[in-house]
Amino acid sequence: MLGIARTLAALGCLWVIGASVTQLAGAWGGGRKDHSQPQGAPRRGVLYNLTAAMLPTHKETVRHHLIEFAAGMMLHAGVLMVLLGAVLAVIDPDVGTAVLHISRPIAGLSLLIGVILLARRIFSWTLRSMSSIDDYLAILAVIGLLLLATGFGGGDGNLTGLLLYTALLLAYLPLGKLRHAVFFFAVRIDLGRRLGHRGTYPPPTESPHGR
Amino acid sequence: MADEAPRPDDTVRRAIEKLDRAIRGLGSYHMNACVKCGLCGETCHVYLAEPDPANLPGAKATEVMNIYRRYHTFLGKHLPKLVDARDATPETLDALVEPVYGRCTACGRCSLHCSVGLDVSAVIRAGRNMLAESKRVPEGLQRTVDNQIETGNQMAITREELISTTEWLTEDLQTEMQDDSVRIPVDKKGRRVLYLINPREVKFFPLSLMAAAGVFHAAGESWTLSSKFYDVTNYGYYSGDDDSATELTRRVMEEARELEVQEIILSECGHGFRSFRWEGPNWIDRAYPIPMRSVLQLLEEYLEQGRITVDPSKNTDRVTLHDPCNLVRWGGVSEPQRRVLRQVVCDFQEMTPNRADNFCCGGGGGMLSMSEYGERRVASGRVKADQIEKTGARIVATPCHNCADQLIEISKRYKLGVDIQAVVELVYSALV
Repeated sequence: MLGIARTLAALGCLWVIGASVTQLAGAWGGGRKDHSQPQGAPRRGVLYNLTAAMLPTHKETVRHHLIEFAAGMMLHAGVLMVLLGAVLAVIDPDVGTAVLHISRPIAGLSLLIGVILLARRIFSWTLRSMSSIDDYLAILAVIGLLLLATGFGGGDGNLTGLLLYTALLLAYLPLGKLRHAVFFFAVRIDLGRRLGHRGTYPPPTESPHGR
Repeated sequence: MADEAPRPDDTVRRAIEKLDRAIRGLGSYHMNACVKCGLCGETCHVYLAEPDPANLPGAKATEVMNIYRRYHTFLGKHLPKLVDARDATPETLDALVEPVYGRCTACGRCSLHCSVGLDVSAVIRAGRNMLAESKRVPEGLQRTVDNQIETGNQMAITREELISTTEWLTEDLQTEMQDDSVRIPVDKKGRRVLYLINPREVKFFPLSLMAAAGVFHAAGESWTLSSKFYDVTNYGYYSGDDDSATELTRRVMEEARELEVQEIILSECGHGFRSFRWEGPNWIDRAYPIPMRSVLQLLEEYLEQGRITVDPSKNTDRVTLHDPCNLVRWGGVSEPQRRVLRQVVCDFQEMTPNRADNFCCGGGGGMLSMSEYGERRVASGRVKADQIEKTGARIVATPCHNCADQLIEISKRYKLGVDIQAVVELVYSALV
């Protein structure tokens, strides 16, 4: 059974890679040449938008919501750690199991954060008013993964369950809200490139964004 | 079970095709990245003034993305209820008008501060593209576009009126500068610079045009206006009508070639700068054969090269600077105006936040042309009014005549008691 679970998880990985590449290529649409005369450097804009632009000093939504920002980072760190463990388990169950063991405290904390974020989405009228079923499914799917990882005790049974769940999660990832994991990088690169071309990014060093 | 989209009528079909083209242009990445975290509200002047969930940038963008999903994502096509995907129908398009025109100035401040990094304003403009294609642009905004296309300028000013204005401005300028050789040249071939102005300068802000003419004269510039296509604005950009925006760009480039100028200088106009400098070459699908700059960059050059001499003691009042979103955030011109102002005024005080982080005045996105949203526009100007008030400034310099209209109105509404001036006016005042 573990062998089947490993195979399904491996297929899940391939599916995510294939679907993401296809979606990104489709979204890119062959690209479009910018005919305007550059005033800055697109690469510098991309670099800035993937680094300093995300810091509390530069991004207002982070600066004003440091707790939510820290919680979000923690949630994503936990999910990535568990997914890393699962992927490694596909290659070598012993290594994957070791990583999943180490991940348990982080997964536990991330689980708590995931539940709080779900509650926030349910009880905040503002968030509820703009949420679709997919928005709830996405956080529930992640909570499920973190629940399995937090309770992970090792052994073939546990690993099989976690890998089967991971395969399901990966199957869903490119279709719904979870694909922001891939598009996150695409939008930051795209906006950074455009604002770098125009000279807005990176901001003037003498007074970055006036602060 | 698959949920088939109904067959759209012709207008709606064209709107869907327009959305396809719009997202192909910017990459549909931005349509797929919103996590609906709800943190974007505080970045938006409309939401800050009226904290209604419908004013959340993410919520406004979601209205466009819901239609996108129906035609471009697997779940949207087959399980639309799961992702709130909506068919493009006359009703859904009608419902889209308020979020993308009436609740958003497309200033893009939220784009820079989005927790993910998606360009909300580009999504909003894709929505405007759809609505423009299906003839749903609010009447006042559409009328402005029509004026530009039919008469060559957004205010339908006749050639005679332009010539008459330049003539009496020339007389005033000659008196003020005590120099009979000062001219406001029109349709002169072979000059170095074609100067594009906002028709508001002809109608409501003649001092701005007069100041520019005075500075050009002092700098020994070789320049001309065009009586045919002198409008620096491009309301096709605001309305989402790319065909009109393209036509307006093409006309200006043809006129520049006719007049055999070496450079096009854009007067102080936020969206005009963005439209002509950055979007225009992509609308006409080729690089410009003639370079183009903002007058702010030219003014800085004059000062650097010593072509004009200024005395800041001629401007003693405290001055603050408003950063037009399309010039600064989306145009990349944030420093020339500062370096110029520091040389021509005694007391320059920055607003906070400023530059690319600055708040929209509330008059962007074509809002000034849409009277149905006037009350919301002025209410959303409260954020800017607070920024101005904190500087203690007596003068607000704004390199945008569209912003100037809104700033004059919010100065009255919120009793700020400030004067609104173009940067070139302050330079002219400081000339020695």
